Amino acid sequence: MMFRTRLLLIFTVTIVAAVGMVEVLVLASTREAFERSQTQRADVLTRQFRQEFERRGQETVRTVTAIAALDAVHKIALQPDSVEYYDYAAPLAKSHALDLLELVSGDATIVSSAEWPARFGYKEDWLTPGADWNRRGAFLRRQELDQRVTLSLGAVSIAAEGDHKLYVVGGQELDRDFLATLVLPEGMRVLLYRNLEAQFSAADLIGATGPAAHAEQLRPLIERVQKQRREATATIGSGAEAETFQAVPLPGLDNSILGVLLIASSRRELVRFENSLLGTGIAVAGAGILVGMILSWWATARITRPVRRLAESAGRVASGEWNATVEVSSADEIGQLARAFNRMTGELVSQRERLVQAERVAAWRELARRLAHELKNPLFPLQITVENMQRARDGYPEQFDEVFREGTTTLLAELTHLKQIVGRFSDFAKMPTPEIQALDFHALITDALKLFEGQLAQAHVRAVTELDPRVRTVNADPEQMTRVLRNLILNAIDAMPEGGTLTVRTTALDGRTRLEITDTGQGLTPEECERLFTPYYTTKTHGTGLGLAIVQSVVSDHGGRISVESEKGKGATFRIEL
Amino acid sequence: MSKYAAPNIALLAILAAGAFAATRPQYGGILRVELRQNPETPDPPPFLTHGFSITRWEAGRRAVYEADENAAGGRPFLDTVEIVMGRPLRDQSNDLELGRADVVELGPAEFRRQPAGRHVWTSSPVRVLALVFQARFDDARVREALALAVDRTAIHAVLLQRQGEISGALLPQWLSGYAFLFSTATDLGRARQLAAGARPISLGVTDAATRPIAERIALNARDAGLRVTVAPQPDNADVRLVELRIASAEPARALAALAASLGFPEPARGDSPEPWHTAERALLDGFRVIPLIHLPDVYGVAPAVKGAPGVTPLGEWRFENLWLEVARP
Repeated sequence: MMFRTRLLLIFTVTIVAAVGMVEVLVLASTREAFERSQTQRADVLTRQFRQEFERRGQETVRTVTAIAALDAVHKIALQPDSVEYYDYAAPLAKSHALDLLELVSGDATIVSSAEWPARFGYKEDWLTPGADWNRRGAFLRRQELDQRVTLSLGAVSIAAEGDHKLYVVGGQELDRDFLATLVLPEGMRVLLYRNLEAQFSAADLIGATGPAAHAEQLRPLIERVQKQRREATATIGSGAEAETFQAVPLPGLDNSILGVLLIASSRRELVRFENSLLGTGIAVAGAGILVGMILSWWATARITRPVRRLAESAGRVASGEWNATVEVSSADEIGQLARAFNRMTGELVSQRERLVQAERVAAWRELARRLAHELKNPLFPLQITVENMQRARDGYPEQFDEVFREGTTTLLAELTHLKQIVGRFSDFAKMPTPEIQALDFHALITDALKLFEGQLAQAHVRAVTELDPRVRTVNADPEQMTRVLRNLILNAIDAMPEGGTLTVRTTALDGRTRLEITDTGQGLTPEECERLFTPYYTTKTHGTGLGLAIVQSVVSDHGGRISVESEKGKGATFRIEL
Repeated sequence: MSKYAAPNIALLAILAAGAFAATRPQYGGILRVELRQNPETPDPPPFLTHGFSITRWEAGRRAVYEADENAAGGRPFLDTVEIVMGRPLRDQSNDLELGRADVVELGPAEFRRQPAGRHVWTSSPVRVLALVFQARFDDARVREALALAVDRTAIHAVLLQRQGEISGALLPQWLSGYAFLFSTATDLGRARQLAAGARPISLGVTDAATRPIAERIALNARDAGLRVTVAPQPDNADVRLVELRIASAEPARALAALAASLGFPEPARGDSPEPWHTAERALLDGFRVIPLIHLPDVYGVAPAVKGAPGVTPLGEWRFENLWLEVARP
């Protein structure tokens, strides 16, 4: 991964993490604030509802007290036999907007019942004579009716005439109609669980529009309130459908829990707000990340530009452009690095120039030595021949002609030798550009070996070929490649003066061809291997030392490479890859 | 004396007749009568059998009778008697108050609310209010439990405002003389034993006027552990609250007519109270029918209606001797 990419990735991850953390923190704090606000709102509404509940109770008390104050009711109280008033309660309840109304005689016998007319004559044993009912206020009561049981918010007032008294027991049924009359803000609703059965009954959980849906979900909360006899809160449902329920126990006259009031506050607004906040947060975060990435891109580009220039310059140096430098545009670490790089390349160029100069001097010295050596050999016979001819003309004139004839022959031969030496040096200096064409490589090898058949036989060298049939053609200059083969074969023969085996092997590589020429001769030392391809270097007593240099030059011109592998006394292998 | 003792209705009727006798009879006028029942039979019931002939019959709604000029006892004073049917008791009472009706039926509640001095005609108890089980209801224990649970005294004293007589017999005491032999006592303990494990039963009642009685019976049954639901559709109910009319002044005939109306076999006839009692006892054994109260016919009468009471002790209408003090055109 590129440094710039890595840097960009680090920046991006950092920005995303930072933005995400901010988003989470904002969301959490907002949620907490909203929750707090919702709780306060629910508390206020619960208080309002309780006040409303109390107000309704007081209203019931007032109504019942008003009924008890009626002359007609006092008249009933005075009657020793009240049978003719058995149907009196129903119209009275209707005219006073009460759901429940009973007129009960002083001995707790029902005179008339609006909610259950057939119950006249029955006893209301809970109406204890000692209680101060007129001051008792409103209370909850479990009320048994003809076909059902209900919960009522009721009150008792006493119409007394001397020793005679009549209880007026009135109330409002706590049913869906009662709940429907309660004014609640949007997003809130009230449910009432009427504890009418021994076990939890879903049908007894009602709302303003009828039986409450998903009553079973509220069962644990209701049962908790019934058991603990105190308020409890729970959130039911999930997502936008979730509601927070504040459950309030409703005790009756004997302090038993007759009902549980559930004030539900919808979390829809919270979820909507959260979603809105989340959406905004995502948009802001997205924009922030985008801006951050652009800035990161710009910053990383700014940071990595000098590094990239350094890398480019290093690449140029690697490709041979040793004098490559980078622009120093800052005084920071990158600037110091650039300056160090420039110093390094400067030093490299200087050292290279010195090295080249030293090598050039060494090469000239070597050349001079070889020239001197090569030229000395033919020059000495030339000198001897000329001196013989001079001595013969001075001392033996009769033999001069013969000496002269022999001398000129020798002179011509040596001159020819000198010419050949000069020609070889000239050839090395003038290596032509290869003319590449598709060659039958194996045919080229076979022809080259055939050329050396006589020499091989004379030197007792056995030629072995291991040619890979996958090698078909090679793109090369046929003349130069023949020269390479001849040089290497001749070197191998020279390396085995006492005979041996010459192995020529080809191998097809992945898109390349390998040629190996192995001898079983005396081998080379590592030092010799290192210097083997240096022009004018030779391990032989004869030769110019240009053969392998020419081979390397040809191979290089063909885009290939040559190497040697050898150990002293174990022969050598020249390996060419084209 | 019992707290719920019956008033002396006969004495009231005599006093009322005496008051009527003080005015002079007049011919002419239309007597308007309203009834709760609405028989939708093709032929009119025999509302008036003396002195009038029916001239118009609208089944279930209206019947018009004209004075018969050739009546055996002479032409009635009234020209026309118009009977309007299907009127609720409360509406009848209102119509009487507003002068839109001359003779109306009075239920216990309406009777109680009549202003002082209102003319009232009362017959002897000629209707029997009874619970009748469907033939398919074969649980005799439940039937007996219901019979033992019903508190007739409270129904009589409160809901019927002491009209009629409590009875455990089909025939009223004034007719048979032995009605008191049939028990009317409640026994909730025994009823609970009998009702143990009983399934809920339905009590059918068609007449809105008797629905409070049915609901009280359901409440009594509940005390005995029986779950009774009052149903307005009596056809499929297990037990019905019905009103049966005593059709004859002869006990044997009356009992036979009651048995026939109940779908029971004709009881054995006899000439003395013993066989009548035995026959009635046989009818009531098994509690398929549970008599509760014997009720009289009670009518409220407008002040303009003069003459002898228009209803006989058997509840029969006799309007030929009535007249209207200010005849209507």
